[in-house]
Amino acid sequence: MAILSVRDLRAYYRTEAYGISRTVHAVDGVSFDLHPDEIYGVAGESSCGKSTLIKVISGNVKPPLKAYSGSVEYDNGLQKVDMLTISPEEMRRNIRWKEISYVMQGSMSVLNPVRKIIKTFEDIVESHRGIQDKKVFREQVEAHINRLGLPTDVLNAYPHQLSGGMRQRVAIALATMFQPRLIIADEPTTALDVVVQRGVLQMLKEIQAESKNTVLLVTHDMAVHANVADRVMIMYAGRIVEEAPTKTIFKSPLHPYTKHLISSLPMIGVRTTKTSLRGSPPNLANPPSGCRFHPRCPLAMEVCRTEIPEMVDVESRHRVACHLVKGGAL
Amino acid sequence: MRKFLLHYLLPRIAQYLTVIFIGITVTFIIPRLSPTDPVEAQVSMILSSGSAVDPEAIEHMRQALTEMYGLSGSPLEQYIAFWGRLLRGDLGPSLSTFPTPVTRLIGQALPWTLGLMLTAVILSWIIGNVLGALASYYPKSKLIYAIDLMSQAVRPIPYYVVALVLLVVFAYLIPIFPFSGAYPVGTRPSLTPSFVLIYLKHSALPALTLILVGFGGWFIGMKSLTSNIISEDYVVYAETTGIKERKILTQYVMRNAMLPQITGLGLSLGTVFSGALIMEVVFQYPGMGMLTLQAIFRNDYSLIMGIAIYSIIGVATSVFLMDLIYPLFDPRVRYQ
Repeated sequence: MAILSVRDLRAYYRTEAYGISRTVHAVDGVSFDLHPDEIYGVAGESSCGKSTLIKVISGNVKPPLKAYSGSVEYDNGLQKVDMLTISPEEMRRNIRWKEISYVMQGSMSVLNPVRKIIKTFEDIVESHRGIQDKKVFREQVEAHINRLGLPTDVLNAYPHQLSGGMRQRVAIALATMFQPRLIIADEPTTALDVVVQRGVLQMLKEIQAESKNTVLLVTHDMAVHANVADRVMIMYAGRIVEEAPTKTIFKSPLHPYTKHLISSLPMIGVRTTKTSLRGSPPNLANPPSGCRFHPRCPLAMEVCRTEIPEMVDVESRHRVACHLVKGGAL
Repeated sequence: MRKFLLHYLLPRIAQYLTVIFIGITVTFIIPRLSPTDPVEAQVSMILSSGSAVDPEAIEHMRQALTEMYGLSGSPLEQYIAFWGRLLRGDLGPSLSTFPTPVTRLIGQALPWTLGLMLTAVILSWIIGNVLGALASYYPKSKLIYAIDLMSQAVRPIPYYVVALVLLVVFAYLIPIFPFSGAYPVGTRPSLTPSFVLIYLKHSALPALTLILVGFGGWFIGMKSLTSNIISEDYVVYAETTGIKERKILTQYVMRNAMLPQITGLGLSLGTVFSGALIMEVVFQYPGMGMLTLQAIFRNDYSLIMGIAIYSIIGVATSVFLMDLIYPLFDPRVRYQ
């Protein structure tokens, strides 16, 4: 049973200026399922549509972004909710933070600079459950952040008085306040140095192991995926190219893009020169025909230029979209 | 707390006193650079009135006047004596309504101006900021769009024209408000309810003029400040967390957007002391503006200087006070 299923989702940015309209195909036909109790990684380079995907899933679709087709269905076991058609107020009251919470990209600046940390907790709890007794509420918050290894003084601080790692942890503490079933973490460690990164990832992992919820972890950092994720999905130019359990994808990647991504990772003892891909990611306002990777693919064939490769199941949990795999060449 | 005193309060007090010192020194110097001699001007005015005075008496008068205007001795002695008198609260006699002290004249005009201007400035600040934030946060609201258009339409019109239009409409065509003054001739100002009511009725149109013309600037400022703030990460995040809209608007958007506006309010509160000259003329309102006008027309040096000094202290004080309360609004400037 999937907690969140995305089917053939297409979300584009459409802007119009001086009569010229421009459509950026940021997410173009994406389907995947999230299961309870797993950490699902989404990888891909910058501007491949990761963040757009997150925006649609978390219900932050604002013009010029619009979901044109497909469905995003959230199922908490009691009821199914269509995330694309739910009204904003219903979304706010029933889904946001209680069911799905969000550790935003650039968490450094997500805290209101003129409000103490405790006030942010207060605002969120008050808007969802109401606060009867401020003392009891404070004790609850203190217990919650202590459990995550944060000192109590953090609550009386203003955001600018905290370090980046601290702020990131506060953001995670905020996101886990109500024990949501799904936590979306968008580049949670990107702006942090490796030592702090490790602490933050540890925290995320422990929370997940304890409360058995689902974490959707988006980052371009394959090393983070290798350490944290149970399954990994690779996106390229708005499409999924490959999806598999973490071990499988690092051991036997099938898609040429995935192979390059993984072989670019540094490994202790290996002293080979890393080959870099030629070209740069395509402009999503005018994506290449056929397989979107073909202009950069060293193994591109004639069919790659004309036909969009279908997603093929290689094993039960390993799927890939590549003509080479389909044709049996790999 | 010690840190606050040393690093925040003391530098600001020093800055405050320096600004006042320089301002008042300039007010001391400028009239002394003027080619006209106020003593001779006064003497010749008395002589030209035609009364026959013997030369000895004129010489006495000259000396007395020189003494009174603080023009005796070297410039440095004058300057020291000037500060001495100032610190005792003595701004000298007015020249045009001799020998009424300047402080009394200002004391009579100031309450009228303060009552009107403070109300108008603060009200237009509040109205402008609230509407500006709403306009940016709810860009689809038709009502706010209409207010936006109106404020843009009124703003470029000189405010005396607005004042005249209001006078014609609300005092002549629909006579609900009186034409001029702060109270009817013949009544004595007092703090009785009936007088307060009369006063409010008299100052309604001047206040309305100032608010109509004044809020547009705050409105545009706040609108653009808000439009920057609503795309800040912490606002988008607050929306994602499901915090109630009203709370986001007040505590996340407006709290942050209004920070520069608080500084602006400090500056415009300071200008309250000099009054709104043309508005007071149009409405024959007995405030600082009218007093300034009279002082200029009658060449009343000591009165002009007195008004300038009040104005300098007013601006400096309000900026100083705003500086002191600003950390309450923005924790990031504390202890810096």
